[in-house]
Amino acid sequence: MFEPTEQGKDISIHSGVVLRGANTREDDVHSTGTLSIVEYTFGKCLEWKPTEVSVVSESQDQDPEWSLVNTHTRTRTVSEGTDSLGRSRTVRILLCDLKSFRINRSGQQLTLMLKDGTNYVVYFQLFNADSFVSSLKGFLKFIKSRKDRNMYIVMEAEDSVLEKSFAELDLFQENASDYVWKFVKNLHDRPYETTMEACSKLTDILLHKEPTRPVEEAVADLLNRSLTLDIPQPTILNVAGEEYEVIGEPGVSVVLPPRPPCPRGAPLTQEQWERCKDTDGRITNSEALKEMIFRGGISPTLRYEVWKYLLNYYPWEATNAERIELKNKKTEEYFAMKLQWKTMTPEQETRFSDFRDRKSLIEKDVNRTDRTHPYYHGDNNDHLVQLYDILMTYVMYNFDLGYVQGMSDLLSPILCLMDSEVEAFWCFVGFMNKVSTNFEMDQEGMKLQLSQLHSLVVLTDPQLAQYLDRHESGNMFFCFRWLLVLFKREFNANDILMLWEILWTDLPCKNFLLLVCVAVLDTEKNVLMENRYGFTEILKHINDLSLRIELPWTLSKAEGIYHQLMAVAGLLPDHIRVIIGLEPQLKTAIIDSEEENATAEPQLDVNDSRPSHSTGSGNVIFGNNEVSFERGINLSYM
Amino acid sequence: MAKTYDYLFKLLLIGDSGVGKTCVLFRFSEDAFNTTFISTIGIDFKIRTIDLDNKKVKLQIWDTAGQERFRTITTAYYRGAMGIMLVYDVNNERSFENIKNWIRNIEENASADVEKMLLGNKCDLADRRQVSKQRGEQLAVEYGIKFMETSAKASINVEEAFYTLARDIKAKTEKKLKEASNPTKSGGHALRAPEISRKPPVWLARCSIL
Repeated sequence: MFEPTEQGKDISIHSGVVLRGANTREDDVHSTGTLSIVEYTFGKCLEWKPTEVSVVSESQDQDPEWSLVNTHTRTRTVSEGTDSLGRSRTVRILLCDLKSFRINRSGQQLTLMLKDGTNYVVYFQLFNADSFVSSLKGFLKFIKSRKDRNMYIVMEAEDSVLEKSFAELDLFQENASDYVWKFVKNLHDRPYETTMEACSKLTDILLHKEPTRPVEEAVADLLNRSLTLDIPQPTILNVAGEEYEVIGEPGVSVVLPPRPPCPRGAPLTQEQWERCKDTDGRITNSEALKEMIFRGGISPTLRYEVWKYLLNYYPWEATNAERIELKNKKTEEYFAMKLQWKTMTPEQETRFSDFRDRKSLIEKDVNRTDRTHPYYHGDNNDHLVQLYDILMTYVMYNFDLGYVQGMSDLLSPILCLMDSEVEAFWCFVGFMNKVSTNFEMDQEGMKLQLSQLHSLVVLTDPQLAQYLDRHESGNMFFCFRWLLVLFKREFNANDILMLWEILWTDLPCKNFLLLVCVAVLDTEKNVLMENRYGFTEILKHINDLSLRIELPWTLSKAEGIYHQLMAVAGLLPDHIRVIIGLEPQLKTAIIDSEEENATAEPQLDVNDSRPSHSTGSGNVIFGNNEVSFERGINLSYM
Repeated sequence: MAKTYDYLFKLLLIGDSGVGKTCVLFRFSEDAFNTTFISTIGIDFKIRTIDLDNKKVKLQIWDTAGQERFRTITTAYYRGAMGIMLVYDVNNERSFENIKNWIRNIEENASADVEKMLLGNKCDLADRRQVSKQRGEQLAVEYGIKFMETSAKASINVEEAFYTLARDIKAKTEKKLKEASNPTKSGGHALRAPEISRKPPVWLARCSIL
């Protein structure tokens, strides 16, 4: 729709700018261009154009991200800056689609976040993102985020009116959301006075001012926002089919101490590794080794050896001789299983639909697994055959589980590293033993992890948990991909090796993966909440994080969260203790009294939210959770 | 600032794993085809705004993982879909047979009046065909839905298919609006999946009398 039939008017131009859409592999060649603010009759746009047509020489077929992505831009008529497919490489983003943006510390990167959750990253070669932002000032109203000083929230036309009517109300000594929170809290504590006070101010406006927007709408908006953001409500969730348990009401819930810094360490070196071997080749101190691996990962050249231990192919205590023996035995075993499917005749297959289904899924997925990685690149690549053979043999090894999408993602880095079919197979078996519940038919393993993740967010960040719940995202489905393939799609080929080896140490606790998820969510919290992302935008934003999550930082944070939990371990409710591998305390006095306190509340507030004097039509509705807000208000009339 | 679209339609692509759902979507949203695709894990969506009879129609198209065991997750996103593309691979008999299961899936999880359309994808590969065009047409007639053979790779009918589905949804929606004799100034707003009610609560009316 934004195919301009007109010549736009350039208002401001910045050169030396690289633009990337979401999911761009970082090894992609960057091409530079100019970023301008251009005025069209349909509105002002941010417009990025490549500087040179010659940069198109990089194979465009392999590079969908460049086509960018802004699906509105389909200007085939523009001849300059089109790629080999005739697509325009010019990207236009309407200013009114912009929700917020963030500059990194060095002033090199500017992340643009659109209303639909899509992200673009702009790289300024001259580190002058700041000056671009200043030139935006004339065309866009935006404010600095309170929680993240590098982030700016764009004020919509609607918002600015609302802000204005707030100003007219003269309600705010503090900023808007604080006020709303106070208002709602007062409403709760002193319903009558608060309502009267607010209403008198509203009346003032009605009588004496002429707001540009109906007051009802502004106030409804204000209340909606207050509901979506700040009201603490006891949260109810079903933990793996157990009794409903109420946790997380601020004031009742566990208060976590500040998060301690947890610096990362250096990778395990060959020297350190050799020192842990005795003369017969046994690994004498596997616990200390795991500790080191947890802290810093493994040196790349050493991975080939250490992974076999982490994935339980070799026992730590095996001698050199025992390992050779084991290897021979496992090699034989592998080829025996491989022969089972290799010798299946086409006639047999016609009468074996379960086998056929598995085979056809594998065929499809092998051809689309990591094909941009040099190891699997190109047609007739032998490594694809090995990938296929290992997965087919795994079907014979565990026919009941069979093949499920995502497994090829887990195998691919292992095969690449081992570069040996047999060793890759057994290491893959070890990996699958750790995560097979992710792939089971009933998906119970996934559901359990998603619900545990939710519980952890409720405990560590009730505000975020509430925000997600209110935006129909409490099921945490937007983290499904993270958990199913253990972040394989979110990190580049190198980072994923380190993340996995760290997870395989099972340190510092059970389900550390979930704490990694909590850490990423903690990093993204401001973006999600300040952009007021809803159900779809949350999913889009999380999907678009792919290849943009910083691993060491995230790991430090996740470990910090672990230490926060451990500092109050005795106060943690049992369902949280179980997640991080602590023994349940089985109903201590503290938890009992907490439950009593909490269970009384939700009957009023959440479960049966329609009081008999409900007026019905005035309810504010949030997806599945209908929250009747008028109760407090109506009481004030009683 | 003017609204950037008049209507927002949520569409859904479903069908067996590997039939080319993501490629169909990629062809439509980026007008490109990439052979080095990756399987879809979980769910994602893309957006394209099209012009239909001088109305800007924003299509939010959801792409789902095809494998059966992920349906718990994917069906959660069926809600609010106004149109569904059922995709099979003309070179894969099984994916065609499974269309009936996908239809059942829709009946269980999507709203009853959702607009549906059947697509036989990969029709450029003539030598490997297992499902004839006639069978596709016949099945579509059985379910009373529209049908097209497409190729994301050769760019056949993809554009047409989405426009057809969008046009049908638009017609249906406009008819509904008319019937409800509830004309809105900016259709887009009224047609979005129900969000937060904009109506001021009743108590507010009382307040203003104070």
